[in-house]
Amino acid sequence: MALSKRELDELKPWIEKTVKRVLGFSEPTVVTAALNCVGKGMDKKKAADHLKPFLDDSTLRFVDKLFEAVEEGRSSRHSKSSSDRSRKRELKIKQMMEAATRQIEERKKQLSFISPPTPQPKTPSSSQPERLPIGNTIQPSQAATFMNDAIEKARKAAELQARIQAQLALKPGLIGNANMVGLANLHAMGIAPPKVELKDQTKPTPLILDEQGRTVDATGKEIELTHRMPTLKANIRAVKREQFKQQLKEKPSEDMESNTFFDPRVSIAPSQRQRRTFKFHDKGKFEKIAQRLRTKAQLEKLQAEISRAARKTGIHTSTRLALIAPKKELKEGDIPEIEWWDSYIIPNGFDLTEENPKREDYFGITNLVEHPAQLNPPVDNDTPVTLGVYLTKKEQKKLRRQTRREAQKELQEKVRLGLMPPPEPKVRISNLMRVLGTEAVQDPTKVEAHVRAQMAKRQKAHEEANAARKLTAEQRKVKKIKKLKEDISQGVHISVYRVRNLSNPAKKFKIEANAGQLYLTGVVVLHKDVNVVVVEGGPKAQKKFKRLMLHRIKWDEQTSNTKGDDDEESDEEAVKKTNKCVLVWEGTAKDRSFGEMKFKQCPTENMAREHFKKHGAEHYWDLALSESVLESTD
Amino acid sequence: MASSRASSTATKTKAPDDLVAPVVKKPHIYYGSLEEKERERLAKGESGILGKDGLKAGIEAGNINITSGEVFEIEEHISERQAEVLAEFERRKRARQINVSTDDSEVKACLRALGEPITLFGEGPAERRERLRNILSVVGTDALKKTKKDDEKSKKSKEEYQQTWYHEGPNSLKVARLWIANYSLPRAMKRLEEARLHKEIPETTRTSQMQELHKSLRSLNNFCSQIGDDRPISYCHFSPNSKMLATACWSGLCKLWSVPDCNLLHTLRGHNTNVGAIVFHPKSTVSLDPKDVNLASCAADGSVKLWSLDSDEPVADIEGHTVRVARVMWHPSGRFLGTTCYDRSWRLWDLEAQEEILHQEGHSMGVYDIAFHQDGSLAGTGGLDAFGRVWDLRTGRCIMFLEGHLKEIYGINFSPNGYHIATGSGDNTCKVWDLRQRRCVYTIPAHQNLVTGVKFEPIHGNFLLTGAYDNTAKIWTHPGWSPLKTLAGHEGKVMGLDISSDGQLIATCSYDRTFKLWMAD
Repeated sequence: MALSKRELDELKPWIEKTVKRVLGFSEPTVVTAALNCVGKGMDKKKAADHLKPFLDDSTLRFVDKLFEAVEEGRSSRHSKSSSDRSRKRELKIKQMMEAATRQIEERKKQLSFISPPTPQPKTPSSSQPERLPIGNTIQPSQAATFMNDAIEKARKAAELQARIQAQLALKPGLIGNANMVGLANLHAMGIAPPKVELKDQTKPTPLILDEQGRTVDATGKEIELTHRMPTLKANIRAVKREQFKQQLKEKPSEDMESNTFFDPRVSIAPSQRQRRTFKFHDKGKFEKIAQRLRTKAQLEKLQAEISRAARKTGIHTSTRLALIAPKKELKEGDIPEIEWWDSYIIPNGFDLTEENPKREDYFGITNLVEHPAQLNPPVDNDTPVTLGVYLTKKEQKKLRRQTRREAQKELQEKVRLGLMPPPEPKVRISNLMRVLGTEAVQDPTKVEAHVRAQMAKRQKAHEEANAARKLTAEQRKVKKIKKLKEDISQGVHISVYRVRNLSNPAKKFKIEANAGQLYLTGVVVLHKDVNVVVVEGGPKAQKKFKRLMLHRIKWDEQTSNTKGDDDEESDEEAVKKTNKCVLVWEGTAKDRSFGEMKFKQCPTENMAREHFKKHGAEHYWDLALSESVLESTD
Repeated sequence: MASSRASSTATKTKAPDDLVAPVVKKPHIYYGSLEEKERERLAKGESGILGKDGLKAGIEAGNINITSGEVFEIEEHISERQAEVLAEFERRKRARQINVSTDDSEVKACLRALGEPITLFGEGPAERRERLRNILSVVGTDALKKTKKDDEKSKKSKEEYQQTWYHEGPNSLKVARLWIANYSLPRAMKRLEEARLHKEIPETTRTSQMQELHKSLRSLNNFCSQIGDDRPISYCHFSPNSKMLATACWSGLCKLWSVPDCNLLHTLRGHNTNVGAIVFHPKSTVSLDPKDVNLASCAADGSVKLWSLDSDEPVADIEGHTVRVARVMWHPSGRFLGTTCYDRSWRLWDLEAQEEILHQEGHSMGVYDIAFHQDGSLAGTGGLDAFGRVWDLRTGRCIMFLEGHLKEIYGINFSPNGYHIATGSGDNTCKVWDLRQRRCVYTIPAHQNLVTGVKFEPIHGNFLLTGAYDNTAKIWTHPGWSPLKTLAGHEGKVMGLDISSDGQLIATCSYDRTFKLWMAD
């Protein structure tokens, strides 16, 4: 019959009393021992034995009494356990009961004033009705006043809080968070935030302080302001989490409520697809647009030309130029009434037929000397050309010797000044005995290994230095390309070749491949027996290409020997005229006019000329063609 | 010790009393004990004071040194010094690598540019050079480069900002211009009239004429070759009556040859350097007196000389050029002479007034060739800046800018039809410009080396002659610009060419010291 700890706790004061009564004074050791006995569920005898050392002869009496008390306590536990509990609980129950009765009374009053107020509630409405008769020791009237007081206080506090809340609510953006925290605090305190009255919102209550510095209301009563105490972060977070969850829960529900299955974005597709109709443009619409564009472009071009000409010729105002400029475009071969440069000086009403005019009324003849703006030449060659210094073999050697000697001297000086440690002796197999005399004698193998290691190290360092000086594969490639591409900012070198027969694919390939490798651009136009090769690039590449075209490729060799059918024909042709390549022209131009080397088959002369004209180089074709014509007539 | 001595003295005093054994008397010198004195001194407390005073004196005298807690770190100091030494090594190394001019004046100029004294007392060129090297090793060689670059930049920007501006010339200029206007307008009218007439000739006749001409040109042959001098011949010019040829030579001599038998008629001595050009007066040998000024020549030293036909000496000199005069050309009227100069200008001289009436600028580099329009109204100049300019002689304005060549223009010529201009350039091309349309109408890829001269056939302008440094002269149809004939035969560069005024003869002169006459069979 072991007792629980709580029972023991309850038992403890009683035991203390008993001990005091039996012994005449309080003895905690006895009490604990007794409690121990009871707690362990010993019987009377055992307990007596246990307690004998403390109580001597009065042991039996004490044990009897103890066990009586234990029995008594156990029997009464179910009914009377709350008797030693705190008064507060009792009070609370009473308050609640009282409140309930009052409510009922008020209800009754409201419902019917006829019935007399009942002094005592007949029907228990509390949650613990069986306890009521036991703990109800306070008079109902007393309890009522007591409770009223308490309620009053709580209400006031709540009101005050509510007021503060209301004021905070006026500025939600500012302290919204704090407001939330405040509310959360209220919640945590178990007080429902009272309804905020409207009049409180309009203006703040005046803050009145009494002489002690306490906050008082208008009546002079002390009021408890809510202290905005920092609460635990964890609490705040918990509240926030709760609110967040609440919001999450709420949001979808709203959506669901409003339009559960309706999405306004989805248009209602008709059951059948609409047939699209043709939209024809009006005839001439684009022609009109094009015409407009063309005229505009022409006008712009004209204006640009005029302004450019004005700039160049030094006449800075375009109006003046307009005076001089030819009034109307003359076609080739048309003879004007008067040349435009003459018309400029001729005043109105001038008799052109006059035989020997001796007049002085020409327009624009003054003694002014013009100084037009000077333009820099297109090839900017004002950078001074510096010749490299080339040394003879002897001079080179001398220079090397001197520089090396200087470097060595510097090194020696540094060592002498202690700026760097002296280099370790340079040992070779040949001088090993001299340098490491005694050591070499003592352990020749070790010394030799050391020397060999040093030699290998030196060799390695040397090779590494050489490798470091070398360009990487990429750098070498870039350098090579740069060298091959050459600088053509000062003009592109162009050469034009004419080949009689360029049907041999091997030769075509040679031309194309070489041009590509030399970074030459250009075009090859194939036309019967006038095949024109135009290449553009740097001077060195041109030199190489020229060598290819005029020397390396054997143009006159028989190519179609393998084909039996073509033998006769080619022989005939060969008899008629041997294939050859002629350099038609070489010179310079400002820019490249062609792109990557391309072959173009042109069945007619016009087509070939058109192709050249497209690139603004028709004169190459003209020259090549006319030269070939001349050649054939010779 | 003192007490023992005291006891010994006591025994001594006792001994005579005993007289037992005479003790050898040892001479004892007794100085007395210091002990008591010292004790007294110590009791007085003097010693401390004395010691302090001594220390003070010692410190004052500098014999005793006491640190005030400062520590001198040897390591740091040494590394600092080492760094200094290493920097000095570096500087010396740099100095070794700097190349300083051995020219003393240049060294001085460099020193001045750096703001250093150009010479110190007792300093020779070698020391100066060394000083400059040391300075440069400290400030870096960039300092010099920068100053040089700045100079160039300022120079360039000055030119770039140049705008068109005018200045008032002499009054004679206006007079001359009026004269030219009066001279040129009727000629222009006449030319246009002739052109209209020529156009009225039926197409077939014209083409047949053209074909005839082409045929004759195709048969052009070297008709005569003559060694003109022992230096390259730079220029040749037919007399207006086509009976004489004047050649200019780098030896400084100009020679007159009879045509077509190529006999030497006169040797004109007067120039000392390379003669650039010699030209006949447009009226010479036709209506002009041989005693009058019939020829004009120019040379590389800037001298321009006028010659008569009856004397070997120049009639007059035209002074005013300081640098090379490349070409000289008569105005069709014969009254004016145009010269082109390497000082970026060309001049117009009035021979009647005997003065320079126009000093015309406009090219950004030297002006090489000049040509006059047949009417006398225009002048065209080609410059080494690769641009050509066409000037109206009456208004003095540049009326057309010939832009298109990549390299220097060495030849410019007006077509007798009045509106075509041909220019020959260092980029091996010859461009034909249309004055009426104000653009380049065709680019002839003419030669394989720089083109030295271009010339239109003087009567109708039916063909174009170009000569170049590729040892050939070429004839091109005009218009059409297709090659008709290559006049090959010179062993050197073709430096000058001319077509006789009747269009029958072509003369070329070359670097190979010969001139050749070409004629159709």
